[in-house]
Amino acid sequence: MTTTLEHTATAAQPKGGGLARHQNAGTAIVCGVVLAYVGWLIGRKLLWNGSDNWGDEVTVLTITGWMLGFWIGIGAFNAPFQWLLGRDNTRADNLYYAGEHQGRARYWKYTTDHKVVGVQYIIVTMGLLAIGGVLAMAIRTELITPGTHFVNQQVYNSFIAIHGMVMILALIVAVAGPWGNFVMPIMIGARDMAFPRLNALSLWTLVSAAIVLVGTLAVGGLPVGWVVMGTISDQAGPGMDFFAMAIVIFTVSTTVASVNLITTILAMRTKGMTLDRLPIFVWGTMITAALALYAFPFFFIAEANQIFDRTTSTSFYVAAGGGTSWLQANLFWLMGHPEVYVILIPAVAALFEISSVMARKPVFSYRTAVGAMVALAGLSAVVWAHHMFTSGWAPSLGGPFMVTTELISIPTGIFFLVLVGTLWRGNVWMKLPTVWMFGFIFNFIIGGVTGIYLSDIPLDEQLHGTMFVTAHFHYIFVGSVLFGAIAALAYWFPKVSGRYLNEFMGRISFWLVFIGVQITFGAMFLSGLKGMPRRDASYSFAFEHTNFISTMGAYIIMAGMLVLLGAVITSWGHGEPAGPNPWHANSLEWQVSTPPPLENFDVLPVITEDPYHFDEAKVNA
Amino acid sequence: MSIDSPALDDTHSHGEGQHDSPEKIDGRERLGVWLFIGADVVTVGALLFTYLYLRAVDTSGHWMSMYGYKGSLHTYEYWFNAAANGTLKSPTLIHVGTVSAGLQWVVAAITVVSAAVLWTGEKSLRAKKNAKSFSATALLAALLSIAGIVFSAVLLKDLPQIFVSINDSNTMSYTTYDSAMMALLASTIFHLAVLAFLGLGLSIRATRGVVSGDRWYQVRLVRYFWVWVAISSVVATLITTTITYVH
Amino acid sequence: MDNPPKRSLQSFYWTWGILTAVGVGLSLWLPRRYLPEAMSNDANLTKTTMILFSICAAPVASGVYAGALHILRHYRYRGEGVPPAAPQIRENTKLLVSWLTASAILTVFVLVWGLGALAAENNSASSNPLVVNVTGQQWVWTFSYPGTHVVSNELYLPENREVEFHVTSEDVTHGFWLVNMGVQVDANPGVVTTIHTTPDKMGVFEVRCEQFCGLNHAFMDAIGYVVTPQQFSSWLAAQPQRA
Repeated sequence: MTTTLEHTATAAQPKGGGLARHQNAGTAIVCGVVLAYVGWLIGRKLLWNGSDNWGDEVTVLTITGWMLGFWIGIGAFNAPFQWLLGRDNTRADNLYYAGEHQGRARYWKYTTDHKVVGVQYIIVTMGLLAIGGVLAMAIRTELITPGTHFVNQQVYNSFIAIHGMVMILALIVAVAGPWGNFVMPIMIGARDMAFPRLNALSLWTLVSAAIVLVGTLAVGGLPVGWVVMGTISDQAGPGMDFFAMAIVIFTVSTTVASVNLITTILAMRTKGMTLDRLPIFVWGTMITAALALYAFPFFFIAEANQIFDRTTSTSFYVAAGGGTSWLQANLFWLMGHPEVYVILIPAVAALFEISSVMARKPVFSYRTAVGAMVALAGLSAVVWAHHMFTSGWAPSLGGPFMVTTELISIPTGIFFLVLVGTLWRGNVWMKLPTVWMFGFIFNFIIGGVTGIYLSDIPLDEQLHGTMFVTAHFHYIFVGSVLFGAIAALAYWFPKVSGRYLNEFMGRISFWLVFIGVQITFGAMFLSGLKGMPRRDASYSFAFEHTNFISTMGAYIIMAGMLVLLGAVITSWGHGEPAGPNPWHANSLEWQVSTPPPLENFDVLPVITEDPYHFDEAKVNA
Repeated sequence: MSIDSPALDDTHSHGEGQHDSPEKIDGRERLGVWLFIGADVVTVGALLFTYLYLRAVDTSGHWMSMYGYKGSLHTYEYWFNAAANGTLKSPTLIHVGTVSAGLQWVVAAITVVSAAVLWTGEKSLRAKKNAKSFSATALLAALLSIAGIVFSAVLLKDLPQIFVSINDSNTMSYTTYDSAMMALLASTIFHLAVLAFLGLGLSIRATRGVVSGDRWYQVRLVRYFWVWVAISSVVATLITTTITYVH
Repeated sequence: MDNPPKRSLQSFYWTWGILTAVGVGLSLWLPRRYLPEAMSNDANLTKTTMILFSICAAPVASGVYAGALHILRHYRYRGEGVPPAAPQIRENTKLLVSWLTASAILTVFVLVWGLGALAAENNSASSNPLVVNVTGQQWVWTFSYPGTHVVSNELYLPENREVEFHVTSEDVTHGFWLVNMGVQVDANPGVVTTIHTTPDKMGVFEVRCEQFCGLNHAFMDAIGYVVTPQQFSSWLAAQPQRA
């Protein structure tokens, strides 16, 4: 295959990898559990700082032990300590880390090959979506009629918080994780990411964080809402410590991933790949990474303050001590609003890419599309307090935040222009990715328009805290982002697996999910309009019809997602084979074999034009 | 997009395990370090935001005061028993003083000096190519960081605790000023620990010849971060020593 | 390969028009049908704003939908195998400029209306509002009327008099929401937040907590009554004296 992989004197060279030859997810979990126990022991036996809430200190120490143990066990600290001792990796080490000759086992290890990391992200995303989805079904089942049914309020309140945060985590990585990692480096003509070890670190850190987050369910849950407002979170049980620590761990993952993505895109493009020849998906990934780099540290500090409050009796959010819940709200939303664009932009950028290939025409208004994504990211940093319009905080700032928030509708509108403009007068190839894209267009209008309602303060004073808000962001997260993520999956599935994602099952799934979304969240808008608050474990009879309809819709969505899961599982091993370039696209990932070689290219390509030239001659070649 | 056969490319191995030249690798590692510094700027920014915000809102006028009992004078058990026995008199409004400004500046100064030491060492390494001497310099910088940690720990230890007893809920507590200072000090200690690790690593690597007059790129990378930590230390200390009492 | 532009665009415009009409119809009907009964000037403004914004959104949404439908009808590749290349259109500056201008105008309009409504709300403060203190506590609302000794869990308000609520909490953050009056503000511990409104219709109204506050958040409701000024005074007088 490539000369770079062959070792002419294998017998004489030492095997690479060192300690890493014995490390994998299993050792990570074992080390994590062992050090968690050590942390627990230290907390219980040795540490006592004189306050009566020592339970939280023990919990935090336990989770710290888990976090460190997991990293040790997976091999994340191997390289830093080797660096410390002046022993750098050899070529054999690097090839071992990249997963050479390890077959399936490399997916369970700290593998640096970006393609392996991409597949690992697919699995993690699916796992998080599954957990969040089960919780969603539990929530909607409980809300089928007024009154308490199969879970009590405490459990229900916990379900909604964990459903929320698990789904947020899933959607943050849903497109940027799998495809920002698997596809993007090939798209720019690179052999791997700029920092391959950081790539593995970001994935495994996410796994560690996700385990802690889901572990919340085992310690009494998180009955405080996923925005974990300061005052009520101070009240909560150990689940809150789990949540806060999960976030602390998670922000390490996103920061590392952001640094890696941005550096890769800026520094590792192949010769001729100037920024204006960059596939638009790569632009989207870079803009997203920059936004995430800015936003997530705020979340880290918001939760670190919370941990301090709960373990060392500080008063960040405790009013009696001089603190204020508004501090938590500001820090949280300084992260929280950019975060929703971190979630949205990769999905939109993937759809831009898909729309061009499927319409056989260039991306319409490429530069404007890039500009719109940049504007969206930039504006998103100055709109955060629209989540606090009714909090009573700084009423005089309501007007300015209303202005910045409503301005966001302009770049968002450009997205529609680009998508519709790309498809217009095209020869639109109605394959599975295209179908989900049309679903996105329909849902994103509804999500976007209802967002404008909420950005108007007088309207928000009626609608804030109601199911109207919940319906709005579910139209965005489920109706738009998830549809974009599934389109991306259907589009790049052949590059990862060598097979098409089953068209028939995919379309059944699409119609079930699409119709289910309209029923569930359409009725939910009405619940909100009528006056149903959100996060209610039970509700008055005035809302029974719309809730019943929402629950029915949720089951339809579930059916659709199960069909999709079936499609993924069956197609991966037994789907219709696809060649290396089933969509006849021009971007670099389609010019390499499926699966791509370990280091992507035998010879690095030289680029002379962007990937949006569809010529008659080339298509028929 | 056309994939022509390349005139020149970077497929040939340079150095151990890398396809690209040391300059190219250094180029992207520098970008990576700057991006990390960017994230750290936001993080420290958020900490300072916390400090300034809490002072600005001064909820219930308790930025530097709290109702309770001078906790530091006795053990928690003493207070707990007093509360249980009902022998606690009514709580007083306790005013905490500012954390020692002098000691804060000592920590900042140590951080700045350690950065200067490292930077000087780097320049000397590039000029004179004496790896052994650089090894000692890097070790010195690391030791200075550890000294900074020690002083920061002293500051932390001296944060006054107040025993608060409300509705049978007893706890040792901190004012918001002390809370914000605690978070900043924890951040300082963490950053200094990272610097100590980096300095020690450079020192060992120089001894082993991995870092030398010809291979000094990583020293520069570490220096970037070190200088940032020094700057953030000065900025934070300026804020926490000048913007203190609410007037 | 290209359809004659004029004929196919006609169907696009028709679709756009019909969908806009449907949208406008829904805009006029849905808010009125589903929003709670409006019992204050603010609630009326809410209803009007929602109708207006929906009407503004109708042609935008319809345009995009009509575009998508047009694409599905006229530009779908119905052959076998890979579709041939389509016209390699990269830009349409006129369209881009019109789009940006239209969206900017719409945004400015929505902004001006919203800022105007906000200003009107803030400036409507009369010089002699009725002040009601609202305290949220897990999980009950308590209302007290300064100047009297009245403390109640039901909110009585006189019609046509501006009322200013001073809201706070004893424990965690709650959300004080007057469902029929179109206003809400959080109740935070340690601070007092303020909203005001003028009830202009008599009857029963709902108070709900709209900020998650713990176990019984879903049940943190209160009943309110808008009554005549005379009934209000008699109610105040009839309340038991509490210290």
